[in-house]
Amino acid sequence: MLKGIAASEGIGIGKVMIIEETSLDYTPKTVTDTAAELERYKDAVEKFCAETEEQAKALRKSTGDKEAEILMGHIQMIKDPFMGGSIENLIESGQCAEAALDQQCNMFIDMFSQVEDEMTQQRAADVKDIKAAMLAILLGVKVVKISDAPKGTVLVAKEVTPSMTAGINKENIVGIITETGSQTSHSAILARALEIPAVLSVENSTTTLSSGEQVIVDGSAGEVMTAPSEDQINEYSAKRDAFLREKRELENYRGKKTVSASGDEYELFCNIGTPKDAAKAMEADGEGVGLFRTEFLFMDRNALPTEDEQFEAYKQAALVLKGKGLIIRTLDIGGDKEIPYLGLEKEENPFMGFRAIRYCLKNRDLFKSQIKAILRASAFGDIRIMFPLITAVEELRAGKELVEEAKSDLRASKIEFDENIKVGVMTETAASGVIAHMLAKEADFFSIGTNDLTGYTMAADRGNGDVAYLYSPFQPSVLMMIRRIIKCANEAGIPVGMCGEAAANPMMIPLLISFGLTEFSVSAPSVLKVRKNISKWTKEEADKVAETVMAMSTEAEIVDYLKGIV
Amino acid sequence: MVSKKLTIVNAQGFHMRPASTFATAMGKYACDVTIKHNGNDVNAKSLMNIIAACIKCGNEIEIVADGADEAAALDEAVKMVESGFGE
Repeated sequence: MLKGIAASEGIGIGKVMIIEETSLDYTPKTVTDTAAELERYKDAVEKFCAETEEQAKALRKSTGDKEAEILMGHIQMIKDPFMGGSIENLIESGQCAEAALDQQCNMFIDMFSQVEDEMTQQRAADVKDIKAAMLAILLGVKVVKISDAPKGTVLVAKEVTPSMTAGINKENIVGIITETGSQTSHSAILARALEIPAVLSVENSTTTLSSGEQVIVDGSAGEVMTAPSEDQINEYSAKRDAFLREKRELENYRGKKTVSASGDEYELFCNIGTPKDAAKAMEADGEGVGLFRTEFLFMDRNALPTEDEQFEAYKQAALVLKGKGLIIRTLDIGGDKEIPYLGLEKEENPFMGFRAIRYCLKNRDLFKSQIKAILRASAFGDIRIMFPLITAVEELRAGKELVEEAKSDLRASKIEFDENIKVGVMTETAASGVIAHMLAKEADFFSIGTNDLTGYTMAADRGNGDVAYLYSPFQPSVLMMIRRIIKCANEAGIPVGMCGEAAANPMMIPLLISFGLTEFSVSAPSVLKVRKNISKWTKEEADKVAETVMAMSTEAEIVDYLKGIV
Repeated sequence: MVSKKLTIVNAQGFHMRPASTFATAMGKYACDVTIKHNGNDVNAKSLMNIIAACIKCGNEIEIVADGADEAAALDEAVKMVESGFGE
């Protein structure tokens, strides 16, 4: 048995498919024999077309003509007079085939992804596919295609990258195993979104497991069973069925209010990253959005989004939510993200550096255009503004001043917005926890970001395996911080939510009920489970649990105790 | 030079499949074929160009063919668009 981190619940029984990491790096060089280079490129195109035709044939059999034609479109794209022609011209001018391909493909990827049309944006993914496949051929690297995985496949990879996402077919992939990652890494978030059982951080799994061997992935326990016996397969099949049955039971909580056993009502919101996710939040029966990350508007592009573009995105989310609460967090970026046009310099310690509200307050034009876009969208729903990474009262004041400035600009232009828009603080730093009573006087609401709050309070990087043991929201210091933030909000009479992963943790829920949290914001697939979990607790029982926990002085004790009662 | 104004009737507009069949079909003609859309001239023989133009259902376009076999090219182009690319 292999141990790992339980990252996405459920049981998968299937055959291993190892996704080897293929580096598509190359060193660009100038070519003197351009005729030979052109020949090399043309050979690669021929090979690409032959491979693609094969895939299209297979796809035609399995899913039909229309899907296959999309794949055939890849052939046409690479041979397109505009794309293929320009690549050939670049090679003739002395560039190597790899660089020419890279440059031209990237141009189209940028062009397509900037169009505000889903169909066109999907074409950017096509060009990315073509680029990767062509580079692999030119460099002589073998690439395993995830989209070709047969039914009952368990993916095994170093990590699940965003570009792999496109290839994952929920019907065929029954489990995911990775060598790196934690509960909050991209692989985990992705696996949960796709509802595929996943076990992460299984050391050396890409080398100890081999393609084709049968394994059981227990994403609830964080275990992988190799060479399972018939008994084990029967046992886990039964477990899998029980898991799926429970999932169906959760459906009973759909359309219900979120109420504790003692009758207290809570708001149960969702965390989203794009306007499209707003629809998912509604499908999942979320009662609103507690965290709308706005970074997507700024990533993977070459220039700032305009105010109008942002307005459209926020408005779209507001319209989907039909008057339900929508908390929009202003830009939360720093030197750890590659957004070249923002001119953010690489820094030694980006998480303690020039980021989020700090960056925005120094770049007032950018910040104001985002705030104006949010204000304009507030005419279309119940929108609230949230500032990330607040560590001092001045930051909140400066942010609020800018909101007032933006309001008077809009008034002058006779543009409608919500005059009483709420402005809140994402309490996610140790500093904000300590001064929560001061912030509570000037903020309209709090939302606790447990991921960063844990990291900043414990001074521990969750991505670093050597210190990850410190990174736990059940550390007494983090729990005290959470309790304090909630208490200060309660005393000031403002709503207080939690939008970090911990809000969905069944062990955390009684504590949050006891502390006095008013809103839970979780990932869409967790909504019904959280509603069910909240319904189990009375305030009195939750208080007892909290009292016991807060008297304990180690994380291990607390976790042990909480595991025993949920 | 011959031309005709048309409206896109299929629900998904000029997406991958229609754009692909359209560009292939136009590629067979010797004449230049251009789609005028939203003030832009789009090379009808280039799938990439058509996709980048983002032509949607309900959009008005004008197809312009210019060259030896322009009449035949325009005829086929119009038929394809009017039939909604068989969708």
